[in-house]
Amino acid sequence: MKKTVSLLAASVLSISLLAGCGSGDNAGGADNGKVKIEFFHYKREAMDTFDKLIEKFEKENPNIDIEQASPPDAGTVIKTRVSKGDVPDIISIGGDMGYNELSKAGVFTDLSKDKVLEKVQPAYIQMLKDITGQEKIYGVPFAANAVGVIYNKAIFNELGLEVPKTWDEFVALSETIQKAGKVPFYHTYKDAWTLLPSFNALAANTQGADFYEQLNKGKVLAEKRYKEAVEKMVVLSKYGHKNQQGVAYNDGNTAFANGESAMYLQGIWAIPEIIKANPDIELGVFPFPATNNPEEIKVISGVDLLYALSAKSEHPKEAKKFIEFMLQDENAKQYIEEQNAFSALMGIAQDNPTVADLKVMMENGAVTDFPDHYIPTGVYPDKTLQTLAQDKDVDSALEKIQKDWEKVQSRK
Amino acid sequence: MKSDQLILNNHQSSPADLAKSKKKKMNGRMMAYYLMVIPAALLFFAFHTFPAIQGIYYSFTNWNGINLDYDFVGFKNYINLFKDTAVRDSYLFTFKFAIFAGVLVNIISLAVAIGLNAKIKGRNFFRAVYFLPNILSVLIVGFIFNFVFTSIIPNLGEKYQIEFLTENILGNANLAWIGILIVFIWQSCAFNIILYLSGLQTVPHELYEASSLDGANRWQQFWKITFPVIAPFFTINMVLAMKNALMVFDQIVAMTGGGPGTVTTSISYLIYTGGLAGGEFAFQSANGVIYFIVIMAISVFQLKVLQKREMDM
Repeated sequence: MKKTVSLLAASVLSISLLAGCGSGDNAGGADNGKVKIEFFHYKREAMDTFDKLIEKFEKENPNIDIEQASPPDAGTVIKTRVSKGDVPDIISIGGDMGYNELSKAGVFTDLSKDKVLEKVQPAYIQMLKDITGQEKIYGVPFAANAVGVIYNKAIFNELGLEVPKTWDEFVALSETIQKAGKVPFYHTYKDAWTLLPSFNALAANTQGADFYEQLNKGKVLAEKRYKEAVEKMVVLSKYGHKNQQGVAYNDGNTAFANGESAMYLQGIWAIPEIIKANPDIELGVFPFPATNNPEEIKVISGVDLLYALSAKSEHPKEAKKFIEFMLQDENAKQYIEEQNAFSALMGIAQDNPTVADLKVMMENGAVTDFPDHYIPTGVYPDKTLQTLAQDKDVDSALEKIQKDWEKVQSRK
Repeated sequence: MKSDQLILNNHQSSPADLAKSKKKKMNGRMMAYYLMVIPAALLFFAFHTFPAIQGIYYSFTNWNGINLDYDFVGFKNYINLFKDTAVRDSYLFTFKFAIFAGVLVNIISLAVAIGLNAKIKGRNFFRAVYFLPNILSVLIVGFIFNFVFTSIIPNLGEKYQIEFLTENILGNANLAWIGILIVFIWQSCAFNIILYLSGLQTVPHELYEASSLDGANRWQQFWKITFPVIAPFFTINMVLAMKNALMVFDQIVAMTGGGPGTVTTSISYLIYTGGLAGGEFAFQSANGVIYFIVIMAISVFQLKVLQKREMDM
């Protein structure tokens, strides 16, 4: 009997030791009178900017302690944390399928009737509604991104080139650059996701206005409607460089910064990285000439960063206070200046001359969301496009996207 | 538990008084033994067995990993599993990889071990060098090789005009798996060499002397003496190398992300990405269950076949 007791004691001890490591730091409770708020976001590039803003906030609110967390692969991390019930107070992600899934899982507080949304441009609120297919809003859109064609002004001047307005001009321009012995595009196909910005720009302008409407009815039209976009992807892949299958995003930023190609097909989020690699580069961004009808071309812009509140936060008031602080004009302005992003709020302009062309279009409302924000996460169009860039087999790529999409839908 | 009872029963059958004192002593010692084995068993249960059982449970639901509620769907996930081409492709890739890796790791390890077992100069230095990869993190090794394949080798290719080196093989759908194979072999040889070395040291010297008197050459000595004597080490090395190759994951995370396309998506990588990022937690749990059964079956099969061969030799 005695032995069994001591045996049990030993085992209980070893278990409680383990339990000790698990709890403790995630409670987010108040120690020494301060309220601890965890601010989880997926923008690792912006950690320095957030550090500065958090410092300012904590000075104004000495009783609140904001803890910034931005792990690599944040999209996966947040899902694993949610699945074990450990949700950060503030969650900052993009307006994409991840947002859709977390909203539907009931992770966020419903902000539909909150007055924080009054500052936000209606177009971005509408985007969040479109993504979830619901009227409810679970996040405050804060920053917007955009996809264009980043170009090296020095090379354009040297070859006497002009910014193209239509798809045909775009292809002719690429041909000219290639004939001059230069690389038109620095493709970075080793990272599958880097194919998505161009695909988004092409698909959004060619998939047809009723694509999402049909999708909400359960009809997947990828195979027919993506045809033009996929064909144009193949054309673009022919104006790359020799080792384009083997180069990744970071190397691409450096290579473009060092003048190894005339153009770079990326979102504006790459610009700070490019400038970091070569501060002297003269670059500009022109809208992606996806079709031959320049009047109808739209810029792809989505909600790059939104603030969502955990439905289970122990300190919702303090968390909200931080969100309100971030939305103040001065602070929002600091963010978009340092991150070279567009603001989702009203009255805050991005004055950086490199993105002037995009700005005009965005102010005119010629904006549409990223099509891949509507593709279910299990479809992986990026991987199919990566194969396409190598095989150039349009039909099998279309078939694969269609089949994967149907497969994922049928399993839900 | 059963074997413990057996021991106790044995003692009861011996003369009564002797048995009593012996039993007391025995129980005291048993206690110490239990204390040695129980913590590890508890840890194993808490962090390995329990999650595994949870995984089996979720494989019969439609949980996406984050929703608060889910339903039971019976064997639907398992049926979908056999219809899914992505799952089939990942199995094909993993098996191809494991067969090549298992065979090559063993050939190379044995060859290096024989070299390190000979009386060469700086033997301990070489042993240390060959063991080094084993203590490095797989992920970091993967990132370093990623850099080598992406930058260093293509640059060398450009410099010396060697055409086939100028392209990053990790970006080539036909060759990317070879890049991963090279890194895998480089790193897993370290441990297998150590095992083979310890095996080679068990071969009695007299056997070589006797055989050389009989006029056997080196080649015959290897096949007739060395290899049969180290057969048990061959068995364990083969099983370990195969098992590790079937579970290849870190190298893929660091080097290709399963690409280009999906050509280097191994089963474990598919389970991880599809289950967490892809929102198909339950479906990939079912995949995990099947995968567990497959690996177990292969390991048992290998042990049976190879152990039988040990007997025959």
